[in-house]
Amino acid sequence: MYTFLCENSIDGIFTGIYDAWASRYGHKNIRLHTGEVTDYELFQEYIPVTPDTGKSTKVADTIRRRLGEEVYLTLCQAILANELHTHKKGLDKADCIYRALLLGFSLPDGSKVLDALNLPYIHRIFELSRATSMEAHHLLGFLRFSELTNGVLFATIHPKNYVLPLLAEHFTDRLPQENFLIYDENRRLAVLHRAGSNYLIADASSLNEDMKKRYSSNELEYRKLWCCFFDSIAIEARCNPALQSQNIPLRFWKDTVELSPDAAPRHEPWKTTS
Amino acid sequence: MNITENLSLMEKLHILTDAAKYDVACTSSGVDRKGNGIGMGNSIAPGICHTFSADGRCVSLLKILFTNECIFSCSYCQNNCNNDIPRASFTPDEVCELTMEFYRRNYIEGLFLSSGILVSPTYTMELIYQTLYKLRNVHHFNGYIHVKAIPGADPLLIEKTGFLADRMSINLELPTSDSLRQLAPNKTRKTILKPMRLIQNGITENQNELMLYRNTPHFVPAGQSTQMIIGATPENDYQVMKVAEGLYQNFQLKRVFYSAFVNVTESDTLPMLPGGPPLLREHRLYQADWLLRYYHFQVDELLSEDRPDFNIYLDPKCDWALRHLELFPVEINRADYHTLLRVPGIGAKSAGRIVKARRSGRLTFSDLKKIGVVLKRALYFITCSGQMMYHTRMDEDYICQNLMRDKTQVPAEVRNAGYRQLSLFDDDILTQAGISMNTCEALLTG
Repeated sequence: MYTFLCENSIDGIFTGIYDAWASRYGHKNIRLHTGEVTDYELFQEYIPVTPDTGKSTKVADTIRRRLGEEVYLTLCQAILANELHTHKKGLDKADCIYRALLLGFSLPDGSKVLDALNLPYIHRIFELSRATSMEAHHLLGFLRFSELTNGVLFATIHPKNYVLPLLAEHFTDRLPQENFLIYDENRRLAVLHRAGSNYLIADASSLNEDMKKRYSSNELEYRKLWCCFFDSIAIEARCNPALQSQNIPLRFWKDTVELSPDAAPRHEPWKTTS
Repeated sequence: MNITENLSLMEKLHILTDAAKYDVACTSSGVDRKGNGIGMGNSIAPGICHTFSADGRCVSLLKILFTNECIFSCSYCQNNCNNDIPRASFTPDEVCELTMEFYRRNYIEGLFLSSGILVSPTYTMELIYQTLYKLRNVHHFNGYIHVKAIPGADPLLIEKTGFLADRMSINLELPTSDSLRQLAPNKTRKTILKPMRLIQNGITENQNELMLYRNTPHFVPAGQSTQMIIGATPENDYQVMKVAEGLYQNFQLKRVFYSAFVNVTESDTLPMLPGGPPLLREHRLYQADWLLRYYHFQVDELLSEDRPDFNIYLDPKCDWALRHLELFPVEINRADYHTLLRVPGIGAKSAGRIVKARRSGRLTFSDLKKIGVVLKRALYFITCSGQMMYHTRMDEDYICQNLMRDKTQVPAEVRNAGYRQLSLFDDDILTQAGISMNTCEALLTG
């Protein structure tokens, strides 16, 4: 038995798939493993995989051509998910994708491969990609930019999954003429976007912590206006905090403006006028 | 009217948000539009919720009134001209500033601009048009805009506004024209339906043109919606749903919204609601509305003249299924999509997944659970390879009792009001829940 050890990234896993396929050990004798191995097994040969853009691109192109764009996107989303393997069934992310590709290439219509939810490895891919896309969709709404003194829009997020690539696409399309920076504090990575050009994702571990607090002169005013709006839009007679925290889970609160615990205390000028 | 001069932007925002909050529609859905690389903004069809207010409702758009200095005297509305509340009006520039700055910071998905009637309907519509024009052409805003068409305004203005907005809506306010006459003396059914028809025709024409000329500007691409107030007037659920069905069929509306009535004006023509707004009723109406739009139900299947109101204990779909047990159980591995849609506990998504997944093998109950079927509701109505999940009697009362144990089925306020429902002697509640007195007696005696 051979286990290919892949790095937890799109390139890492696709290279692992390439190497495993090219090894000709027979699909039954191959396993893929994402990330570090914690418990080594006897009679198991471990083969480390070095991520290679060339190999990864070949795999990606094949998936796109034979299984279609939609399957390719779902697989990428599954790879971006945080969880590597289930605890109970030991379904490894990379291995699930490998099995799904085997099945997909054997079908007359490969684009339907992810429909077979009754197969455990397909269901696992479904779960993982759903986790990523749900969180990304949440953050498209819950992410908040602050304007800094130099006019740059800065946002900090703490996502479970690696959603930065998905957010980057969306905000580049939405704010083409803005300089913005989205900082994933859990992974210490950031999306950098310069007005009028494309984005890039860079290591941000050396980010100056003071920089993100240097708000522009208007920033606090607009935050107050937003909080004023947020407080006024709720209907008292329908107050329902349980529903609120069901809809916007608590872990997102600290990065918003209106629900953040360290938001400026609400000064309520309207109380005196009305 | 209590009009104060020189209000700050903050005060205006407070007054005009407060005045707009009873309008329920806050969706940013229905249109996919890529960014244009120059201006700011794009739009994605499923819509995006940016936050949730203390009442748990989604905040997606900057929902404000342009002005609450209204000349109309609709008694249910807090902005009616006889009400003593602070009044304010935005200028088009203020609305643009707020929209652009909030949008940049990703607070909102776009603008929802409604308005009280300042001077005259046409005058107000003109102001709204100017605001939208500035937003689109001066600030190059490319995000979502939902705007109210003012009933009675110049049709030309409404049409011009439609080319700038994504969605337009005209509130039907009350389900019948009698109620409207009673509570909103300045509005008539005719003035409301006329612009609605106008927009509908505009959309159809525009779609035909778009087929011929791809670069024709889009007219109200996300369609139109409307809203009805529930519980201010004596209409029953059957009447309300019939109106909604008519609007979907005859006016091709995208959404009808239902707003549980909140008595803000304390006018004596309006009902006092000691138990708070009728939220449960509103919830049931929305459930039924979904059944109409996504589950191919007709109103007459759900309600009738004899049973004009929804069951408060069971959702409309369960209620329907219980009255049609002759159609169940259905076989998961064979039933077509439309049959699956009618099974309680199976939604549009899971029905689609079932149809696809069973191509690669027979499905079992554990597969269904993974797929997202709510088995605690569905198990009474389905078989997998000819077997039911448990040994279940196909008996209305038996299934009904079991379904009602489901905590998600019955909202908290009803649940707390009664463990009473388990008291077999309270026949009023039992009949409402669809359990006949005969069974109760049978249970007691045997």
